[in-house]
Amino acid sequence: MMRPTRTTGGVAALALVLTALAIIIESSAAVIAAGSLTIFLLWRAGRFSRDFYALAASLTVSRDVDRTILRQGAEAHVRVRVDLALPPGMEVRVRDILPAVAVGTAPLVESGESATYTIRIMAPGRTAFGGVVLSARDTYFSYDLRIRHFNKPDLRAFPVRGTESGGGREGSGMQEFEVDKRATLEGPAVRGFRLYRLGDDPRLIDWKISAKHNVFYVRELTGLEGGTPLIVVDLPIREGDDHEAFTRYSMIIADAIERAIEARTGCSLLVLAGGEVTRFLSGTSDLGEAFAALGGLAPVESRAPLYRAPGSAILSMRARLPVGRDGPERAYRAKLGRVLANFVRESRSPFGDAVAAALARVEATEVHLYTLARGDSSHLTQVIHQAKARGMRVVAKMPRGAPIPPGVDAMEAI
Amino acid sequence: MTDRRFLLLCAGEVLVVAVGNLLAALVIQILVLAAFLDDRRSYPVLIAAVALYAATVAILGHVLLSLIVLAVILICGYAVLTLHDYRLTQWAGGSA
Repeated sequence: MMRPTRTTGGVAALALVLTALAIIIESSAAVIAAGSLTIFLLWRAGRFSRDFYALAASLTVSRDVDRTILRQGAEAHVRVRVDLALPPGMEVRVRDILPAVAVGTAPLVESGESATYTIRIMAPGRTAFGGVVLSARDTYFSYDLRIRHFNKPDLRAFPVRGTESGGGREGSGMQEFEVDKRATLEGPAVRGFRLYRLGDDPRLIDWKISAKHNVFYVRELTGLEGGTPLIVVDLPIREGDDHEAFTRYSMIIADAIERAIEARTGCSLLVLAGGEVTRFLSGTSDLGEAFAALGGLAPVESRAPLYRAPGSAILSMRARLPVGRDGPERAYRAKLGRVLANFVRESRSPFGDAVAAALARVEATEVHLYTLARGDSSHLTQVIHQAKARGMRVVAKMPRGAPIPPGVDAMEAI
Repeated sequence: MTDRRFLLLCAGEVLVVAVGNLLAALVIQILVLAAFLDDRRSYPVLIAAVALYAATVAILGHVLLSLIVLAVILICGYAVLTLHDYRLTQWAGGSA
């Protein structure tokens, strides 16, 4: 429904005052004044309504999703472009209505502009966008219209393997799902499907889905999109003689590296021992080099414990000003930000700097963090936040039931 | 619209009421509204409607009857807008 603005309210109030005045002083001139303002508002409403109809009829929305068949919980990147014939004096914005089972935030888009955002489909099955909300306003009226025509493309999510546990820490914002060990060792999982492009490996064509849709679809593997994955190995601290567990851990890591190199162009490797970077290999496709970097690894005594130090990424996150808030909290945050900025400048963290330099060198969109999760996990927290600050997805691969570091996108049991 | 322009509109309406004469009030009213607007597309339609209403007021010669006519115009206008809004919502296949 059309909504009046503050200006319309003012003019209507003025018309009411003039009406009351006309009754009191019995003035025909006051009646004309009140009537003119009323007719004026009706005229403006009619014009706005007509303009809005023309606007809605001229609206075209083109929406592209990087993959239309994807795994439940996987990200899909949406690019939307809006074009319309803008009437003079009208401000117009368009917002996508996400599928009912999707999470994400659709931005407001103006005419002739494009916007990109990310959604996650949280339930398996077929779904589609809910259309768009066309919001227009001029000086006197505003209108929000939900247009359901623009609901393409259809999306299809298939369930994740294994069972969703939902047993993560409350409020940590993590998505945890368990994958059975056999599946983990099978190599990279299928993250989603996209249309076949010239030059794609024919072995990646999924024939079942291609036959169903009568067009070629190729599989996209977890961790292999947008560059090679970064495999981070957290060496456990030495305690007791748990050789068997460490041997099994080493085999899982070796297997993951071998499969990553064989499946595409290679991987990067970062080995941590507490708050210390012991080895780093950037974008190697040489299996021998990768295994040489892994050779001789053993549980270590922690030489540079971080003692729960949060690191610069978390400090800058804490000091970030809340959007739209005002008052004492904003002033406090601003002051805290200045203090922390000075603190970071004065006291550099060698570990944080080393991790940041390593992450800057790798062309990865996904970090596979292997850990046995024993002892202090401050260094893992710093690595995760550094990766998140660079927009990387972090998948923790750790024993079932181990405490999950905050900020992890997904957890897989090893 | 700025607050200053709204105050000017109020002042113009005071002038319309103070002038007393119907024809003069109509002319001033049209000028005031023209000054009030930025975008004067289809403004002649508004002038015609206001002139028609002024003629009705002059013919009826009674304040209350004129206001009743105004109320009828308002109700009819609201009904037309609601119908238009309903058709637009139906076309869009959703709710406003």
